[in-house]
Amino acid sequence: MTPTSLQGGGPEPTARAAVVSVAAPARSRLVFQSQTSRRLAFGYLLLAPAVLYVLLLVGAPFLFSLYLAVSDANVGDPVATFIGAENFRAAIEMDVFWTALQNSVIFLVVAAIFKSLLGTSLAFLLLQEFPFKKLIRGVVVIPFTLPIAISVLAWKWMYDSQFSVINWVLSRAGLIGQYGTDSWPIWLGDPKLALLACIAVNVWRTFPFSAIVLLAGFTSVPLEVLDAAKVDGCSFFQRFRHVVAPMIFPILMIGFLFDTVFTLSDLSVVYLLTQGGPANASKILPVLAYQIGIQAGNLGRGAAIALFLVPLLAPAMFLFLRNLRRREY
Amino acid sequence: MARGALTQQQKDRRRYLLIYAGLTPFVFMAVFPLYWMLITAFKQDPDLYRMENIPFWFNMAPTLRHFNILFFQTNYGAWIVNTMTIAAWVAVITLVTAVPAGYALARLRLPGAENIAISVFMTYLVPPIILFLPLSRVVAMLGLQDQWWALVVVYPTFTIPFGTWLLMGFFKTVPMEMEEAARVDGCGYLGAFVRVVLPVSLPGVLTAVIFAFTLSMQDFLYGLAFVAPGDQKPVPVGVPTELIRGDVYYWGSLMGAALLVGLPVAVLYNFFLDRFIQGITGGVGK
Repeated sequence: MTPTSLQGGGPEPTARAAVVSVAAPARSRLVFQSQTSRRLAFGYLLLAPAVLYVLLLVGAPFLFSLYLAVSDANVGDPVATFIGAENFRAAIEMDVFWTALQNSVIFLVVAAIFKSLLGTSLAFLLLQEFPFKKLIRGVVVIPFTLPIAISVLAWKWMYDSQFSVINWVLSRAGLIGQYGTDSWPIWLGDPKLALLACIAVNVWRTFPFSAIVLLAGFTSVPLEVLDAAKVDGCSFFQRFRHVVAPMIFPILMIGFLFDTVFTLSDLSVVYLLTQGGPANASKILPVLAYQIGIQAGNLGRGAAIALFLVPLLAPAMFLFLRNLRRREY
Repeated sequence: MARGALTQQQKDRRRYLLIYAGLTPFVFMAVFPLYWMLITAFKQDPDLYRMENIPFWFNMAPTLRHFNILFFQTNYGAWIVNTMTIAAWVAVITLVTAVPAGYALARLRLPGAENIAISVFMTYLVPPIILFLPLSRVVAMLGLQDQWWALVVVYPTFTIPFGTWLLMGFFKTVPMEMEEAARVDGCGYLGAFVRVVLPVSLPGVLTAVIFAFTLSMQDFLYGLAFVAPGDQKPVPVGVPTELIRGDVYYWGSLMGAALLVGLPVAVLYNFFLDRFIQGITGGVGK
């Protein structure tokens, strides 16, 4: 066969069709086109409700929050006027804003360290095979699956200033003194302890999540791929470095970023335990935004404070997006 | 031969013991707060507040008094009804929007489907703390402030993105040929979707319903910000805000209320946790 006849292979079916019926190609193209446009119309119609809902109740409010942040909107006064960057300026001139920002960052970093340590150890344990594995796994992830406001209540009771069960145990063990003495820790009332107590609850709640994400990462590496690498003469470290790490890294990244967004923006733990007290010792940005925006009714300034989370979240969001694209497509 | 098998068994047993020893602190951490809630809910008040006793077991007879208070002197019953009704509505809204959207994005080869899918999922990551102030205005405009209906409107902002993403994964796993066969047999696009794809994707649809329910239960901020009247709150908001009156804590009732609703939700969620993780890590349609 000559190259020309190979090249001629493309249009050949059409030519053959033309022998059968001259009108066929034109009609089938028409049918195809109308089918395509019908498919697209159907598709966008199916998509419309979800997209509209999200645009109206996430997209628009997000833009609206930008507008609120540059206005003097108040709960009692619906007519807001434009005041430029005044809310942002006022926010950064508040001492409590800087305290809250600092606490938010401390909260995020300290919690991340502990939950990754605990999560990794748990993941390695759950990677093994043993009897009752499913049951134990189900029990261990309970902190993550309990509704957060509800589990925080249990902690509030365990942190009680007088009847704390933690203190009871420590006291009986001789590690702390009696109730009423200086060596009796008041977890939520002591400025030095309050933030740590809140961080502990966040760690308790999210370490199972870290573990499960890690597990998902490990189990996403097909054994055949590892075996193939072994047959090809890769050492353990080479296999880890070139096979396992690139495969699990995106999953870990997404889990990590997801947790970052959640931890930075969650207010329920601190709000329910301490309301940010004592004396702002455990105040974080979300709690401050809530107190100023809703409790004090200053919508504009509250929105401005909440928006200070955006630069903190933006890198996480950006990485998340990049990861998602690489994995999916 | 037999001796070899025995030592293998012994080896296994030793390995299991080590693993169990490693897991014990984790199990303890997960279970103790639950146990503490449980026993607190059934203890008499004097038993709760006496430090000389060992607090891990009943020193006086167990009591149902705390639940009595809960159901007859507070709005707890109303909160449960609110929570269930909210969750049901949220599930319906999520299904009506996310099922078609997930199908369209997974199957109909729409131009820009990838970008739309990613944008929709990204909205799941916009934290409520940024949205709650503008949404409070939206809720006021709709005339829904201080009614649980406000939450029915607001919760789909996170259940729709998650549901769409999740269902997209499910629909991708349905073999394309099934749909094509249906169309050859004379079904239109709608027919192929409703009669062929939807029935085999029922587990996915059910999962989306479960998540609409459990994710609604995880909210605290929206409920706190939008619903002030005592009888309109959902359980996760009502319990911590209404059962704590000033400095007086009804710990028995508090723990009972928390446990009664929290435990079933946690168990339900547990069964679907892997799906959740798969959903957010993008490992769809494995």
